[in-house]
Amino acid sequence: MEAYLVAILIITAIYVLLSLGLTLQYGLTGLINFGHVGFFCIGAYAAAILSAYAGLPVIVGFLAAIVLAGLAAFPIGLIALRLRDDYFAIVTLGFSETVRIIVTSEKQLTNGVQGIPGIPRLVDGVGILSALAVLAVLLAANGAAIYAFRRIVASPFGRMIEAIRDNEEAVKALGKDPARFKIQVLVLGAALAGLSGAFYAHYIGYVSPDQFNPLVTFYVWMAIIMGGVGRISGAIVGTALLMLFLEGSRFLRDVMPFISAVDMASIRIGAVGLALVLFTLYRPQGLMGDFTRRR
Amino acid sequence: MAFWIELVIAGLVSGLVIGLSALSITLVFGIARFPNAATGDTMTLGAYGALIGHRITGSLIAGGILGAAAGALVGVLGYLLIFRQLARRSNVALLVASIGLGFMLRAAMGVAFGHSQSVFQLPLVRPWRLGEVPIQPNDLWLALAAGSALMVVFGVLYLTPIGRRMRAVADDAALARVSGISPDRVMIALWVLAGAVAAVAGMIAGIKTVVSPEMGWDLLLPAFSAAIFGGIGSPVGAVVAGLILGVAQEVATPFVGFTYKIALAFVVMLFVLLVRPRGLFGKLEGAR
Repeated sequence: MEAYLVAILIITAIYVLLSLGLTLQYGLTGLINFGHVGFFCIGAYAAAILSAYAGLPVIVGFLAAIVLAGLAAFPIGLIALRLRDDYFAIVTLGFSETVRIIVTSEKQLTNGVQGIPGIPRLVDGVGILSALAVLAVLLAANGAAIYAFRRIVASPFGRMIEAIRDNEEAVKALGKDPARFKIQVLVLGAALAGLSGAFYAHYIGYVSPDQFNPLVTFYVWMAIIMGGVGRISGAIVGTALLMLFLEGSRFLRDVMPFISAVDMASIRIGAVGLALVLFTLYRPQGLMGDFTRRR
Repeated sequence: MAFWIELVIAGLVSGLVIGLSALSITLVFGIARFPNAATGDTMTLGAYGALIGHRITGSLIAGGILGAAAGALVGVLGYLLIFRQLARRSNVALLVASIGLGFMLRAAMGVAFGHSQSVFQLPLVRPWRLGEVPIQPNDLWLALAAGSALMVVFGVLYLTPIGRRMRAVADDAALARVSGISPDRVMIALWVLAGAVAAVAGMIAGIKTVVSPEMGWDLLLPAFSAAIFGGIGSPVGAVVAGLILGVAQEVATPFVGFTYKIALAFVVMLFVLLVRPRGLFGKLEGAR
Protein backbone atom coordinates (compact mmCIF):
# COMPACT_ATOMS: atom_id res chain seq x y z
CA MET A 1 0.00 0.00 0.00
CA GLU A 2 2.76 2.46 0.94
CA ALA A 3 4.60 1.53 -2.22
CA TYR A 4 1.49 2.26 -4.26
CA LEU A 5 0.99 5.60 -2.53
CA VAL A 6 4.60 6.60 -3.16
CA ALA A 7 4.28 5.56 -6.81
CA ILE A 8 1.23 7.79 -7.25
CA LEU A 9 2.99 10.68 -5.54
CA ILE A 10 5.95 10.27 -7.89
CA ILE A 11 3.74 10.35 -10.98
CA THR A 12 1.84 13.32 -9.54
CA ALA A 13 5.10 15.19 -8.97
CA ILE A 14 6.14 14.48 -12.57
CA TYR A 15 2.83 15.86 -13.80
CA VAL A 16 3.06 18.91 -11.52
CA LEU A 17 6.26 19.86 -13.37
CA LEU A 18 4.32 19.63 -16.64
CA SER A 19 1.45 21.67 -15.21
CA LEU A 20 3.82 24.36 -13.96
CA GLY A 21 5.32 24.67 -17.43
CA LEU A 22 1.90 25.08 -18.99
CA THR A 23 0.79 27.49 -16.25
CA LEU A 24 3.77 29.66 -17.09
CA GLN A 25 2.92 29.56 -20.80
CA TYR A 26 -0.85 29.73 -20.81
CA GLY A 27 -1.78 30.91 -17.33
CA LEU A 28 0.66 33.80 -17.16
CA THR A 29 1.43 34.63 -20.78
CA GLY A 30 -1.63 33.40 -22.63
CA LEU A 31 0.24 31.12 -25.04
CA ILE A 32 -2.04 28.25 -26.05
CA ASN A 33 0.44 25.41 -26.15
CA PHE A 34 -1.36 22.30 -27.42
CA GLY A 35 1.92 20.49 -27.98
CA HIS A 36 3.19 20.19 -24.42
CA VAL A 37 3.63 16.43 -24.77
CA GLY A 38 6.11 17.03 -27.61
CA PHE A 39 8.60 18.70 -25.24
CA PHE A 40 7.91 16.04 -22.61
CA CYS A 41 8.69 13.40 -25.26
CA ILE A 42 11.93 15.10 -26.31
CA GLY A 43 13.07 15.19 -22.69
CA ALA A 44 12.18 11.56 -22.06
CA TYR A 45 13.90 10.30 -25.22
CA ALA A 46 17.00 12.46 -24.65
CA ALA A 47 17.39 11.01 -21.16
CA ALA A 48 16.61 7.48 -22.36
CA ILE A 49 19.01 7.49 -25.32
CA LEU A 50 21.91 9.06 -23.44
CA SER A 51 21.67 6.81 -20.40
CA ALA A 52 20.45 3.48 -21.81
CA TYR A 53 22.23 3.55 -25.19
CA ALA A 54 25.22 5.83 -24.72
CA GLY A 55 25.78 4.80 -21.11
CA LEU A 56 26.42 8.37 -20.00
CA PRO A 57 25.79 9.46 -16.40
CA VAL A 58 22.17 10.21 -15.52
CA ILE A 59 22.90 13.88 -14.87
CA VAL A 60 24.08 14.34 -18.47
CA GLY A 61 20.78 12.91 -19.70
CA PHE A 62 18.85 15.31 -17.47
CA LEU A 63 20.79 18.32 -18.69
CA ALA A 64 20.36 17.23 -22.30
CA ALA A 65 16.64 16.72 -21.72
CA ILE A 66 16.23 20.25 -20.39
CA VAL A 67 18.41 21.87 -23.04
CA LEU A 68 17.01 19.95 -26.02
CA ALA A 69 13.37 20.50 -25.04
CA GLY A 70 14.10 24.19 -24.53
CA LEU A 71 15.92 24.42 -27.86
CA ALA A 72 13.03 22.72 -29.64
CA ALA A 73 10.74 25.43 -28.31
CA PHE A 74 12.87 28.18 -29.79
CA PRO A 75 11.86 27.81 -33.47
CA ILE A 76 8.27 27.18 -32.38
CA GLY A 77 8.50 30.46 -30.49
CA LEU A 78 9.84 32.30 -33.52
CA ILE A 79 6.86 31.07 -35.50
CA ALA A 80 4.44 31.74 -32.68
CA LEU A 81 5.21 35.43 -32.61
CA ARG A 82 3.78 35.83 -36.03
CA LEU A 83 0.57 33.90 -35.44
CA ARG A 84 -2.79 34.56 -33.85
CA ASP A 85 -3.37 32.46 -30.73
CA ASP A 86 -5.68 29.86 -32.25
CA TYR A 87 -3.26 29.26 -35.13
CA PHE A 88 -0.51 28.85 -32.58
CA ALA A 89 -2.58 26.15 -30.87
CA ILE A 90 -2.85 24.18 -34.12
CA VAL A 91 0.84 24.62 -34.92
CA THR A 92 1.92 23.33 -31.50
CA LEU A 93 -0.48 20.40 -31.79
CA GLY A 94 1.08 19.61 -35.16
CA PHE A 95 4.52 19.95 -33.61
CA SER A 96 3.84 17.31 -30.97
CA GLU A 97 2.38 14.93 -33.54
CA THR A 98 5.45 15.47 -35.71
CA VAL A 99 7.73 14.70 -32.76
CA ARG A 100 5.82 11.46 -32.25
CA ILE A 101 6.15 10.60 -35.95
CA ILE A 102 9.89 11.26 -35.79
CA VAL A 103 10.49 9.04 -32.76
CA THR A 104 8.36 6.35 -34.40
CA SER A 105 10.26 6.52 -37.69
CA GLU A 106 13.90 7.09 -36.75
CA LYS A 107 14.42 3.48 -35.71
CA GLN A 108 18.21 3.49 -35.44
CA LEU A 109 18.01 6.24 -32.83
CA THR A 110 14.79 5.47 -30.97
CA ASN A 111 14.09 1.81 -31.75
CA GLY A 112 10.76 2.83 -33.34
CA VAL A 113 7.50 1.52 -31.93
CA GLN A 114 9.31 -1.05 -29.76
CA GLY A 115 10.69 1.78 -27.67
CA ILE A 116 13.75 1.92 -25.45
CA PRO A 117 13.79 -0.46 -22.47
CA GLY A 118 16.28 -0.71 -19.64
CA ILE A 119 16.62 2.96 -18.72
CA PRO A 120 18.54 3.01 -15.42
CA ARG A 121 16.68 4.01 -12.26
CA LEU A 122 17.52 7.28 -10.58
CA VAL A 123 18.24 5.47 -7.31
CA ASP A 124 19.39 1.85 -7.26
CA GLY A 125 17.44 -0.76 -5.36
CA VAL A 126 13.87 -1.96 -5.43
CA GLY A 127 12.51 -1.31 -1.93
CA ILE A 128 10.34 1.52 -0.73
CA LEU A 129 13.43 3.42 0.41
CA SER A 130 14.70 3.89 -3.13
CA ALA A 131 11.21 4.98 -4.23
CA LEU A 132 11.15 7.48 -1.39
CA ALA A 133 14.55 8.74 -2.47
CA VAL A 134 13.22 9.29 -6.01
CA LEU A 135 10.24 11.10 -4.56
CA ALA A 136 12.55 13.29 -2.50
CA VAL A 137 14.55 14.26 -5.60
CA LEU A 138 11.32 15.04 -7.44
CA LEU A 139 9.95 17.09 -4.58
CA ALA A 140 13.19 19.04 -4.49
CA ALA A 141 12.88 19.68 -8.25
CA ASN A 142 9.28 20.76 -7.78
CA GLY A 143 10.26 22.99 -4.88
CA ALA A 144 12.95 24.63 -6.98
CA ALA A 145 10.52 25.07 -9.89
CA ILE A 146 7.86 26.59 -7.64
CA TYR A 147 10.43 28.90 -6.03
CA ALA A 148 11.62 30.03 -9.46
CA PHE A 149 8.01 30.43 -10.56
CA ARG A 150 7.20 32.69 -7.61
CA ARG A 151 10.30 34.76 -8.25
CA ILE A 152 9.28 35.11 -11.89
CA VAL A 153 5.76 36.22 -11.01
CA ALA A 154 7.09 38.84 -8.61
CA SER A 155 9.72 40.15 -11.02
CA PRO A 156 9.40 42.81 -13.73
CA PHE A 157 9.56 39.92 -16.20
CA GLY A 158 6.48 38.38 -14.56
CA ARG A 159 4.55 41.64 -14.70
CA MET A 160 5.51 41.98 -18.35
CA ILE A 161 4.30 38.54 -19.42
CA GLU A 162 1.02 39.01 -17.56
CA ALA A 163 0.63 42.34 -19.29
CA ILE A 164 1.17 40.58 -22.62
CA ARG A 165 -1.61 38.15 -21.75
CA ASP A 166 -3.98 40.92 -20.69
CA ASN A 167 -3.30 43.44 -23.43
CA GLU A 168 -0.59 42.86 -25.96
CA GLU A 169 -1.29 46.09 -27.84
CA ALA A 170 -0.75 48.15 -24.68
CA VAL A 171 2.58 46.42 -24.13
CA LYS A 172 3.63 47.30 -27.66
CA ALA A 173 2.48 50.86 -27.15
CA LEU A 174 4.80 51.09 -24.14
CA GLY A 175 7.68 50.31 -26.44
CA LYS A 176 8.24 46.78 -25.17
CA ASP A 177 8.65 43.90 -27.57
CA PRO A 178 6.26 41.07 -26.57
CA ALA A 179 8.01 38.67 -28.95
CA ARG A 180 11.15 38.29 -26.86
CA PHE A 181 9.17 37.57 -23.72
CA LYS A 182 6.96 35.03 -25.44
CA ILE A 183 9.96 33.09 -26.73
CA GLN A 184 11.58 33.11 -23.30
CA VAL A 185 8.40 31.85 -21.64
CA LEU A 186 7.94 29.17 -24.25
CA VAL A 187 11.53 27.95 -23.84
CA LEU A 188 11.25 27.99 -20.03
CA GLY A 189 8.01 26.00 -20.03
CA ALA A 190 9.38 23.54 -22.57
CA ALA A 191 12.56 23.06 -20.53
CA LEU A 192 10.38 22.26 -17.52
CA ALA A 193 8.48 19.72 -19.62
CA GLY A 194 11.83 18.27 -20.74
CA LEU A 195 12.92 17.90 -17.12
CA SER A 196 9.63 16.22 -16.37
CA GLY A 197 10.21 13.86 -19.31
CA ALA A 198 13.66 12.89 -18.01
CA PHE A 199 12.17 12.04 -14.60
CA TYR A 200 9.44 10.07 -16.33
CA ALA A 201 11.88 8.04 -18.45
CA HIS A 202 14.07 7.20 -15.49
CA TYR A 203 11.13 6.35 -13.27
CA ILE A 204 9.16 4.16 -15.73
CA GLY A 205 12.38 2.69 -17.14
CA TYR A 206 10.94 2.40 -20.64
CA VAL A 207 9.86 4.84 -23.35
CA SER A 208 7.84 4.21 -26.52
CA PRO A 209 6.04 6.60 -28.89
CA ASP A 210 2.52 5.71 -27.73
CA GLN A 211 3.25 7.08 -24.25
CA PHE A 212 3.46 10.53 -25.81
CA ASN A 213 0.15 10.93 -27.60
CA PRO A 214 -1.76 14.23 -27.49
CA LEU A 215 -3.97 12.89 -24.70
CA VAL A 216 -1.12 13.66 -22.27
CA THR A 217 -1.21 17.31 -23.34
CA PHE A 218 -4.91 17.46 -22.61
CA TYR A 219 -4.49 15.71 -19.27
CA VAL A 220 -2.29 18.64 -18.32
CA TRP A 221 -4.76 21.13 -19.77
CA MET A 222 -7.53 19.46 -17.82
CA ALA A 223 -5.42 19.72 -14.66
CA ILE A 224 -4.75 23.43 -14.96
CA ILE A 225 -8.27 24.25 -16.09
CA MET A 226 -9.74 22.31 -13.16
CA GLY A 227 -7.32 23.77 -10.66
CA GLY A 228 -7.53 27.33 -11.87
CA VAL A 229 -5.55 28.93 -14.64
CA GLY A 230 -2.54 31.02 -13.76
CA ARG A 231 -1.93 29.96 -10.18
CA ILE A 232 0.65 27.64 -8.66
CA SER A 233 -1.93 26.30 -6.22
CA GLY A 234 -4.25 25.68 -9.18
CA ALA A 235 -1.59 23.67 -11.01
CA ILE A 236 -0.96 21.50 -7.93
CA VAL A 237 -4.59 20.98 -6.91
CA GLY A 238 -5.60 20.34 -10.52
CA THR A 239 -2.84 17.78 -11.00
CA ALA A 240 -3.84 16.04 -7.76
CA LEU A 241 -7.45 15.90 -9.02
CA LEU A 242 -6.25 14.55 -12.35
CA MET A 243 -4.31 11.75 -10.61
CA LEU A 244 -7.29 10.98 -8.40
CA PHE A 245 -9.34 10.65 -11.54
CA LEU A 246 -6.79 8.58 -13.50
CA GLU A 247 -6.16 6.22 -10.57
CA GLY A 248 -9.79 6.22 -9.52
CA SER A 249 -10.81 4.98 -12.94
CA ARG A 250 -8.41 2.08 -12.35
CA PHE A 251 -10.19 1.20 -9.10
CA LEU A 252 -13.54 1.52 -10.82
CA ARG A 253 -12.56 -1.50 -12.88
CA ASP A 254 -11.93 -3.50 -9.71
CA VAL A 255 -15.44 -2.70 -8.56
CA MET A 256 -17.01 -3.18 -11.99
CA PRO A 257 -14.94 -5.90 -13.68
CA PHE A 258 -17.44 -6.21 -16.53
CA ILE A 259 -15.94 -3.04 -18.05
CA SER A 260 -13.09 -4.15 -20.28
CA ALA A 261 -9.71 -2.43 -20.21
CA VAL A 262 -10.15 -0.84 -23.65
CA ASP A 263 -13.62 0.39 -22.72
CA MET A 264 -12.15 1.91 -19.58
CA ALA A 265 -9.59 3.72 -21.73
CA SER A 266 -12.46 5.09 -23.81
CA ILE A 267 -14.42 6.12 -20.75
CA ARG A 268 -11.33 7.90 -19.44
CA ILE A 269 -10.97 9.88 -22.67
CA GLY A 270 -14.68 10.69 -22.55
CA ALA A 271 -14.39 11.91 -18.97
CA VAL A 272 -11.47 14.17 -19.91
CA GLY A 273 -13.62 15.56 -22.72
CA LEU A 274 -16.59 16.08 -20.43
CA ALA A 275 -14.41 17.82 -17.85
CA LEU A 276 -12.93 20.14 -20.49
CA VAL A 277 -16.42 21.05 -21.75
CA LEU A 278 -18.06 21.47 -18.35
CA PHE A 279 -15.25 23.55 -16.86
CA THR A 280 -15.13 25.77 -19.95
CA LEU A 281 -18.89 26.24 -19.80
CA TYR A 282 -19.56 26.63 -16.10
CA ARG A 283 -16.36 27.30 -14.24
CA PRO A 284 -13.80 28.93 -16.51
CA GLN A 285 -11.89 30.25 -13.51
CA GLY A 286 -11.23 26.72 -12.18
CA LEU A 287 -11.65 25.51 -8.62
CA MET A 288 -8.98 27.66 -7.04
CA GLY A 289 -10.29 30.90 -8.45
CA ASP A 290 -8.27 33.01 -10.80
CA PHE A 291 -6.58 36.35 -10.73
CA THR A 292 -6.96 36.62 -14.46
CA ARG A 293 -10.08 38.05 -15.99
CA ARG A 294 -12.77 36.25 -17.97
CA ARG A 295 -11.55 34.00 -20.78
CA MET B 1 5.14 6.87 -65.65
CA ALA B 2 2.09 4.71 -64.94
CA PHE B 3 3.36 4.40 -61.36
CA TRP B 4 3.31 8.16 -60.87
CA ILE B 5 -0.11 8.55 -62.46
CA GLU B 6 -1.41 5.90 -60.07
CA LEU B 7 0.07 7.85 -57.17
CA VAL B 8 -1.57 11.05 -58.40
CA ILE B 9 -4.96 9.31 -58.66
CA ALA B 10 -4.57 7.90 -55.15
CA GLY B 11 -3.57 11.39 -54.05
CA LEU B 12 -6.66 12.94 -55.61
CA VAL B 13 -8.91 10.50 -53.74
CA SER B 14 -7.22 11.18 -50.40
CA GLY B 15 -7.20 14.84 -51.39
CA LEU B 16 -10.99 14.72 -51.60
CA VAL B 17 -11.06 13.47 -47.99
CA ILE B 18 -8.70 16.25 -46.89
CA GLY B 19 -10.53 18.85 -48.98
CA LEU B 20 -13.98 17.97 -47.62
CA SER B 21 -12.76 17.95 -44.00
CA ALA B 22 -10.92 21.23 -44.60
CA LEU B 23 -14.15 22.63 -46.05
CA SER B 24 -15.93 21.74 -42.82
CA ILE B 25 -13.19 23.42 -40.77
CA THR B 26 -13.06 26.53 -42.92
CA LEU B 27 -16.85 26.99 -42.83
CA VAL B 28 -16.85 26.87 -39.02
CA PHE B 29 -13.73 29.02 -38.80
CA GLY B 30 -15.18 31.61 -41.17
CA ILE B 31 -18.62 31.87 -39.58
CA ALA B 32 -18.38 30.69 -35.96
CA ARG B 33 -14.76 31.90 -35.79
CA PHE B 34 -12.89 29.12 -34.05
CA PRO B 35 -10.87 26.09 -35.16
CA ASN B 36 -13.17 23.13 -34.56
CA ALA B 37 -11.04 20.27 -33.28
CA ALA B 38 -14.10 17.99 -33.11
CA THR B 39 -14.08 17.82 -36.93
CA GLY B 40 -11.92 14.69 -36.93
CA ASP B 41 -14.24 12.79 -34.62
CA THR B 42 -17.28 13.96 -36.60
CA MET B 43 -15.59 12.30 -39.58
CA THR B 44 -15.26 9.08 -37.60
CA LEU B 45 -18.93 9.28 -36.73
CA GLY B 46 -19.80 9.70 -40.41
CA ALA B 47 -17.73 6.63 -41.25
CA TYR B 48 -19.48 4.50 -38.60
CA GLY B 49 -22.88 5.85 -39.62
CA ALA B 50 -22.20 4.94 -43.24
CA LEU B 51 -20.85 1.53 -42.21
CA ILE B 52 -24.00 0.71 -40.26
CA GLY B 53 -26.28 2.09 -42.96
CA HIS B 54 -24.42 0.03 -45.55
CA ARG B 55 -24.69 -3.15 -43.47
CA ILE B 56 -28.42 -2.72 -42.90
CA THR B 57 -29.51 -1.60 -46.35
CA GLY B 58 -26.69 -2.94 -48.50
CA SER B 59 -26.60 0.40 -50.29
CA LEU B 60 -23.63 2.76 -50.02
CA ILE B 61 -25.82 5.72 -50.93
CA ALA B 62 -28.22 5.01 -48.07
CA GLY B 63 -25.19 4.49 -45.81
CA GLY B 64 -23.71 7.80 -46.88
CA ILE B 65 -26.99 9.61 -46.20
CA LEU B 66 -27.22 8.05 -42.73
CA GLY B 67 -23.60 8.98 -42.02
CA ALA B 68 -24.12 12.56 -43.20
CA ALA B 69 -27.29 12.83 -41.10
CA ALA B 70 -25.40 11.61 -38.03
CA GLY B 71 -22.65 14.17 -38.66
CA ALA B 72 -25.19 16.98 -39.13
CA LEU B 73 -27.02 15.95 -35.94
CA VAL B 74 -23.84 15.99 -33.87
CA GLY B 75 -22.88 19.34 -35.38
CA VAL B 76 -26.21 20.91 -34.41
CA LEU B 77 -26.23 19.31 -30.95
CA GLY B 78 -22.68 20.51 -30.33
CA TYR B 79 -23.76 24.01 -31.27
CA LEU B 80 -26.95 24.04 -29.20
CA LEU B 81 -25.45 22.43 -26.09
CA ILE B 82 -21.93 23.87 -26.08
CA PHE B 83 -20.83 26.37 -28.68
CA ARG B 84 -23.86 28.67 -28.48
CA GLN B 85 -23.23 29.12 -24.77
CA LEU B 86 -19.64 30.12 -25.49
CA ALA B 87 -20.38 32.56 -28.30
CA ARG B 88 -19.30 35.58 -26.27
CA ARG B 89 -16.14 34.00 -24.92
CA SER B 90 -12.68 33.91 -26.46
CA ASN B 91 -11.92 31.47 -29.23
CA VAL B 92 -9.64 29.63 -26.78
CA ALA B 93 -12.69 28.60 -24.78
CA LEU B 94 -14.40 27.39 -27.95
CA LEU B 95 -11.29 25.52 -29.07
CA VAL B 96 -10.87 23.76 -25.72
CA ALA B 97 -14.57 22.89 -25.68
CA SER B 98 -14.35 21.47 -29.21
CA ILE B 99 -11.46 19.25 -28.12
CA GLY B 100 -13.61 18.08 -25.22
CA LEU B 101 -16.53 17.37 -27.55
CA GLY B 102 -14.22 15.42 -29.84
CA PHE B 103 -12.95 13.31 -26.93
CA MET B 104 -16.51 12.55 -25.84
CA LEU B 105 -17.48 11.50 -29.37
CA ARG B 106 -14.42 9.27 -29.66
CA ALA B 107 -15.10 7.70 -26.27
CA ALA B 108 -18.74 7.02 -27.15
CA MET B 109 -17.74 5.39 -30.43
CA GLY B 110 -14.99 3.38 -28.75
CA VAL B 111 -17.50 1.96 -26.25
CA ALA B 112 -20.25 1.45 -28.83
CA PHE B 113 -18.24 -0.08 -31.67
CA GLY B 114 -15.14 -1.47 -29.96
CA HIS B 115 -11.56 -0.72 -30.84
CA SER B 116 -11.02 -3.29 -33.56
CA GLN B 117 -10.91 -1.98 -37.10
CA SER B 118 -13.94 -2.46 -39.35
CA VAL B 119 -14.03 -2.43 -43.12
CA PHE B 120 -16.75 -1.74 -45.66
CA GLN B 121 -17.65 -5.08 -47.28
CA LEU B 122 -17.56 -4.08 -50.91
CA PRO B 123 -17.41 -6.47 -53.85
CA LEU B 124 -14.04 -6.58 -55.57
CA VAL B 125 -14.24 -5.00 -58.98
CA ARG B 126 -11.71 -5.51 -61.73
CA PRO B 127 -10.03 -2.15 -62.37
CA TRP B 128 -10.48 -0.46 -65.69
CA ARG B 129 -7.36 0.15 -67.68
CA LEU B 130 -6.54 3.44 -69.33
CA GLY B 131 -3.44 2.52 -71.25
CA GLU B 132 -1.21 1.15 -68.51
CA VAL B 133 -2.95 2.92 -65.66
CA PRO B 134 -5.45 0.89 -63.64
CA ILE B 135 -8.47 2.87 -62.48
CA GLN B 136 -10.66 1.57 -59.66
CA PRO B 137 -14.36 2.09 -60.46
CA ASN B 138 -14.90 2.59 -56.73
CA ASP B 139 -12.62 5.61 -56.79
CA LEU B 140 -14.86 7.16 -59.43
CA TRP B 141 -17.94 6.53 -57.29
CA LEU B 142 -16.22 8.09 -54.31
CA ALA B 143 -15.21 11.09 -56.40
CA LEU B 144 -18.83 11.36 -57.52
CA ALA B 145 -20.03 11.23 -53.89
CA ALA B 146 -17.51 13.88 -52.87
CA GLY B 147 -18.47 15.96 -55.90
CA SER B 148 -22.16 15.86 -55.05
CA ALA B 149 -21.42 16.78 -51.43
CA LEU B 150 -19.43 19.74 -52.72
CA MET B 151 -22.24 20.73 -55.10
CA VAL B 152 -24.74 20.70 -52.23
CA VAL B 153 -22.49 22.85 -50.03
CA PHE B 154 -21.67 25.37 -52.74
CA GLY B 155 -25.29 25.35 -53.91
CA VAL B 156 -26.48 26.20 -50.42
CA LEU B 157 -23.76 28.80 -49.93
CA TYR B 158 -24.16 30.65 -53.20
CA LEU B 159 -27.70 29.96 -54.45
CA THR B 160 -29.96 30.07 -51.39
CA PRO B 161 -31.05 32.90 -49.08
CA ILE B 162 -29.63 31.13 -46.02
CA GLY B 163 -26.32 30.73 -47.84
CA ARG B 164 -26.27 34.44 -48.56
CA ARG B 165 -26.89 35.12 -44.88
CA MET B 166 -24.09 32.72 -43.93
CA ARG B 167 -21.67 34.54 -46.19
CA ALA B 168 -22.85 37.84 -44.74
CA VAL B 169 -22.11 36.64 -41.20
CA ALA B 170 -18.71 35.36 -42.34
CA ASP B 171 -17.99 38.71 -43.94
CA ASP B 172 -18.99 40.92 -41.03
CA ALA B 173 -20.89 39.42 -38.11
CA ALA B 174 -21.85 42.75 -36.56
CA LEU B 175 -23.09 44.20 -39.83
CA ALA B 176 -25.08 41.03 -40.51
CA ARG B 177 -26.69 41.33 -37.11
CA VAL B 178 -27.81 44.92 -37.53
CA SER B 179 -29.17 43.98 -40.96
CA GLY B 180 -31.61 41.71 -39.17
CA ILE B 181 -29.98 38.35 -39.85
CA SER B 182 -30.79 35.94 -37.05
CA PRO B 183 -27.53 34.34 -35.90
CA ASP B 184 -29.26 31.21 -34.62
CA ARG B 185 -30.66 30.11 -37.96
CA VAL B 186 -27.42 30.84 -39.74
CA MET B 187 -25.50 28.88 -37.14
CA ILE B 188 -27.78 25.86 -37.34
CA ALA B 189 -27.49 25.85 -41.13
CA LEU B 190 -23.72 26.14 -40.74
CA TRP B 191 -23.46 23.20 -38.34
CA VAL B 192 -25.72 21.02 -40.48
CA LEU B 193 -23.45 21.65 -43.46
CA ALA B 194 -20.18 21.40 -41.55
CA GLY B 195 -21.22 18.19 -39.78
CA ALA B 196 -22.52 16.51 -42.91
CA VAL B 197 -19.48 17.43 -45.00
CA ALA B 198 -17.09 16.13 -42.36
CA ALA B 199 -19.15 12.93 -42.16
CA VAL B 200 -18.95 12.38 -45.93
CA ALA B 201 -15.18 12.92 -45.76
CA GLY B 202 -15.02 10.31 -43.00
CA MET B 203 -17.08 7.86 -45.02
CA ILE B 204 -14.74 8.15 -48.01
CA ALA B 205 -11.70 7.72 -45.75
CA GLY B 206 -13.36 4.67 -44.18
CA ILE B 207 -14.10 3.07 -47.55
CA LYS B 208 -10.55 3.69 -48.78
CA THR B 209 -8.88 2.37 -45.61
CA VAL B 210 -10.42 1.09 -42.37
CA VAL B 211 -12.88 2.45 -39.84
CA SER B 212 -11.69 2.79 -36.23
CA PRO B 213 -12.50 5.21 -33.40
CA GLU B 214 -9.13 6.95 -33.79
CA MET B 215 -9.23 7.42 -37.57
CA GLY B 216 -10.64 10.95 -37.50
CA TRP B 217 -8.04 12.31 -35.12
CA ASP B 218 -5.26 11.20 -37.46
CA LEU B 219 -6.94 13.05 -40.33
CA LEU B 220 -7.36 16.28 -38.36
CA LEU B 221 -3.88 17.68 -38.91
CA PRO B 222 -3.94 17.43 -42.75
CA ALA B 223 -7.43 18.97 -42.64
CA PHE B 224 -6.29 21.97 -40.60
CA SER B 225 -3.28 22.27 -42.83
CA ALA B 226 -5.42 22.37 -45.98
CA ALA B 227 -7.86 24.85 -44.42
CA ILE B 228 -4.97 27.22 -43.66
CA PHE B 229 -3.31 26.56 -47.02
CA GLY B 230 -6.53 27.34 -48.88
CA GLY B 231 -7.09 30.48 -46.84
CA ILE B 232 -9.26 30.41 -43.73
CA GLY B 233 -12.89 31.08 -44.59
CA SER B 234 -12.48 30.25 -48.27
CA PRO B 235 -14.53 27.14 -49.23
CA VAL B 236 -12.99 26.91 -52.71
CA GLY B 237 -9.53 27.28 -51.26
CA ALA B 238 -10.08 24.47 -48.79
CA VAL B 239 -11.04 22.01 -51.53
CA VAL B 240 -8.22 23.06 -53.89
CA ALA B 241 -5.65 22.96 -51.09
CA GLY B 242 -6.95 19.57 -49.97
CA LEU B 243 -6.45 18.14 -53.44
CA ILE B 244 -2.96 19.63 -53.72
CA LEU B 245 -2.01 18.33 -50.29
CA GLY B 246 -3.42 14.86 -51.03
CA VAL B 247 -1.44 14.56 -54.25
CA ALA B 248 1.70 15.96 -52.60
CA GLN B 249 1.44 13.41 -49.80
CA GLU B 250 1.11 10.45 -52.17
CA VAL B 251 3.81 11.61 -54.56
CA ALA B 252 6.17 12.28 -51.65
CA THR B 253 5.63 8.82 -50.13
CA PRO B 254 8.30 7.03 -52.25
CA PHE B 255 10.83 9.64 -51.11
CA VAL B 256 10.04 10.24 -47.44
CA GLY B 257 8.31 7.02 -46.46
CA PHE B 258 4.81 6.28 -45.31
CA THR B 259 5.00 7.63 -41.75
CA TYR B 260 6.20 11.08 -42.73
CA LYS B 261 3.08 11.75 -44.80
CA ILE B 262 1.36 13.50 -41.90
CA ALA B 263 4.53 15.41 -41.11
CA LEU B 264 4.40 16.77 -44.66
CA ALA B 265 1.02 18.33 -43.87
CA PHE B 266 2.62 20.02 -40.87
CA VAL B 267 5.51 21.34 -42.94
CA VAL B 268 3.12 22.71 -45.56
CA MET B 269 1.10 24.40 -42.82
CA LEU B 270 4.19 26.05 -41.29
CA PHE B 271 5.41 27.16 -44.69
CA VAL B 272 2.07 28.73 -45.61
CA LEU B 273 1.72 30.46 -42.24
CA LEU B 274 5.18 31.96 -42.51
CA VAL B 275 5.25 32.88 -46.18
CA ARG B 276 1.66 33.59 -47.13
CA PRO B 277 -0.58 33.45 -44.06
CA ARG B 278 -3.73 34.26 -45.98
CA GLY B 279 -3.28 31.09 -48.01
CA LEU B 280 -4.35 30.64 -51.60
CA PHE B 281 -7.69 32.42 -51.58
CA GLY B 282 -8.02 33.94 -48.11
CA LYS B 283 -8.84 37.51 -47.27
CA LEU B 284 -5.98 39.63 -46.06
CA GLU B 285 -7.60 40.88 -42.86
CA GLY B 286 -8.74 37.44 -41.74
CA ALA B 287 -5.25 36.03 -41.73
CA ARG B 288 -3.10 34.90 -38.81
